Amino acid sequence: MAVPGGRLARAASDPLFERFRAEFASGPLPRVAVFVGAGASHSWIWFADLLERLGLFAVSFIDEQAVLSGDLGEFDVFMVGGGDTYAMAESLGTAGAAELETHVEGGGFYFGSCAGAYLVLSGVDREPFAPFELVNGNILNVMPEPPEPLCLAHKYLAPYGEEWVFHPVYGEVELGPGPVSNGFKCFEGRGTLASVLFGGPILSAGNDGEVAAVYSGLTTRAAYPWPEDEAARFVTGRPAVIRARHGEGTAVASGPHLEHPLFPRANALAAELVWRHWRSRRGNSVRRAPGSRGAAESSEVGVLLQEIKRQVSNARIVGFGLEKMPVTWRIGVKVWEPEKIRMFLDSAWRRLPCLEENRSRMDDTTCLAALAEGYSRVTGLARSLRTKVETGEDSLEEATSLLSSLKELTAKFLTLYFRLRRQEDVS
Amino acid sequence: MDSMYHGDVLIVDLAAGKTEQVDFVEADEAGPGLAAGLALYDRHGDADPLVFGSGLFTGTPVPGACLGFVVGRSPLNGDLAVSPLGMYAGAEMKLSGFSAVVVKGASAKPVYLWLHDGVADLLDASSLSGMDTWQTTDAIRKDMGESLIQVISIGPAGEAKSEAAAFSINYWGSGDSAALGAVMGAKNLKAVALRGLGMLDAEEPEELYNAASELIKSAPAERGFKRICSALGADDIDGWLKPIAHRHRSCFACPSACATFVKYNEPPSVLGSEGVEEPGMLVTSAAAAIWLKDGGWDAEAACRAMEAMARAGVDMLRGARELSAEPLSDASEITVAVKELKGAEEAAWPAGEAIEYGLFGPWVPPLASQDDWLAANRAGYVLGICPTCLLAGGIDTGRLFELCGPAAGIELDPAAVDGMF
Repeated sequence: MAVPGGRLARAASDPLFERFRAEFASGPLPRVAVFVGAGASHSWIWFADLLERLGLFAVSFIDEQAVLSGDLGEFDVFMVGGGDTYAMAESLGTAGAAELETHVEGGGFYFGSCAGAYLVLSGVDREPFAPFELVNGNILNVMPEPPEPLCLAHKYLAPYGEEWVFHPVYGEVELGPGPVSNGFKCFEGRGTLASVLFGGPILSAGNDGEVAAVYSGLTTRAAYPWPEDEAARFVTGRPAVIRARHGEGTAVASGPHLEHPLFPRANALAAELVWRHWRSRRGNSVRRAPGSRGAAESSEVGVLLQEIKRQVSNARIVGFGLEKMPVTWRIGVKVWEPEKIRMFLDSAWRRLPCLEENRSRMDDTTCLAALAEGYSRVTGLARSLRTKVETGEDSLEEATSLLSSLKELTAKFLTLYFRLRRQEDVS
Repeated sequence: MDSMYHGDVLIVDLAAGKTEQVDFVEADEAGPGLAAGLALYDRHGDADPLVFGSGLFTGTPVPGACLGFVVGRSPLNGDLAVSPLGMYAGAEMKLSGFSAVVVKGASAKPVYLWLHDGVADLLDASSLSGMDTWQTTDAIRKDMGESLIQVISIGPAGEAKSEAAAFSINYWGSGDSAALGAVMGAKNLKAVALRGLGMLDAEEPEELYNAASELIKSAPAERGFKRICSALGADDIDGWLKPIAHRHRSCFACPSACATFVKYNEPPSVLGSEGVEEPGMLVTSAAAAIWLKDGGWDAEAACRAMEAMARAGVDMLRGARELSAEPLSDASEITVAVKELKGAEEAAWPAGEAIEYGLFGPWVPPLASQDDWLAANRAGYVLGICPTCLLAGGIDTGRLFELCGPAAGIELDPAAVDGMF
């Protein structure tokens, strides 16, 4: 019988994850922080999926304020996904860059994909990126006057000083091993793996940059702003993932989203990189279960969970309806499509049954009440947004407000979820 | 039955304003689809419920798998009756997150039921009171923010508990010929709105998908009512509708687009949707159209009458039969005539025969043979396949039954279905 639950469930059931779960579970678990602050798009929720598949439940979702307050010291791994690199760099500033450097030098692990990769490359040295130099490498997909795109004009370019960062291919790409990844199980069999490139960098490695994967080929499951043969010549053979040792720690810059939940072998590459760092560091961490304040009155928890379910469902239905409408929103340099709304909501929706099954462990009704109120507000915002789009009015303000609320709520929801999973794991 | 259904049975107590969820054991005990629906009716029969449900394949790519149902006691004769949920309502019923819904008792004030992804909300419908089915559909979709929500509602006829009443699926009426719309009115249940973004699990999804694809290839993909008229033994109505026909639409997963959208408030040659707000209507009832045509109605006037019946929440089948006796052409006269429809129990069928009601609604000879009609309905309501689609031929019923294995891991014998009810 096939694995129920569709493509996502089938990807999550890949046997490769069992091995990593066993390896990580053999000792203290790393404490992981995922960046959800300024500039972060929806893609950080894929890190949550990846971490869950690996059985890593000591996860927090932090913003730039937490970084600037020195909170990175509490974590072993810091993950930064896609989004608006300008907004990330500006919000973190020189002080934030120093915090990142301290984190890695002290033995931490930085994993940046897409925007999170651009952010820390030493070659990306124009303001506001200059202070961030965790990985000795540069980007190749930059030029003063890129050719006109054949498609995806709204996603093709991002400003970079007097030049432009451009994206010759957008979608699924094939990755092959680099010198670092010889022997990695994720490359066994075909010798390559599939991942997705959604505007991430085509890299060049500096002297001490270790190439963990190269772009080995393109696929039919991608859009080509450049003619496909020209895109292939430009991309193929170039570094896709670079690892750099920095002090006691490690930093990884990945052009593709290795964390994307539909690509289990790319997930395994990310896991392998984290694991190889962590196995030499884990003696320095202590497995800790969050304290429990005792179960709340269960009917109150049940009512609040039902309200959260009600409102997430309502908002998902509106979000799905918006996906049929020809609208996008440019917030900063990032273009947001309506389907991103449902990606946030789905990340909570998929996990609600687990919360319901474990309602006896739930101890934080204040948090549940805040989530219920927040998702109710999100439903209202989504409906207002839909009305604006339908009537042809400017909807940027509503979209910005909705996406910002969704990001905040999803982080809050996932924080609760991972705390519950960790309690379950420890007990 | 873990596959093909997801979610519990929802029990709605309208008098108490409460809902509860219970395990769906009826599919395993009695059989899928209508067999389970009738078992649920029996279990809660003391409360004179309406039971909403769907067939085994409903919501899958199996050709014709659009069918859901409503079971209730018909006010026309006091017998148990089944009315179809076609178009996209059956599929949405399946995906609503509830395997079936039992609505018991009556509410003190107008309410509507919003079923979404396994959540049941019983909402105040005071603001919808008096609205016709088109206004009700628009209002609920606007409030909930999505135009794909399927709205099963009643209009003024249902609110008045008229024996002419039928529930309507969105704007286009329904095959409710048992006046279950009047039962909704008696329960103060203005509407049931459905939307689900869930997925159905099949026992062997690839095998099911491939077999369904093969069946679709072998099924006739025709447009219009020609095949249905032929199966019913009636003259073709496509030529009659042709001067105002704009496009054809199918129900969920059906290879044949029989429903015909006609335009009479703007030229049918207008392709875009930027013209008048309500350019015409979707003709979904071949039988209603046949009766009006045979009664000497002009196609445009007949379609206006069907629109008026759909808006008012009047059963088109019996309404058309009553209206067929006196052809009208003036729009305001048509509206008045539709408002005066009473239910047509006494009206004569054009050929002179009396209507014989059964579990599946009126049986009206000389259309098709009664045995064929009953067999198509029994198989259709268990499997979730449109009986008209089965009756009109082209889908191999034996192969359909073979799909029960990859779909749900069960074996179902066509002969056993005949014995279920």
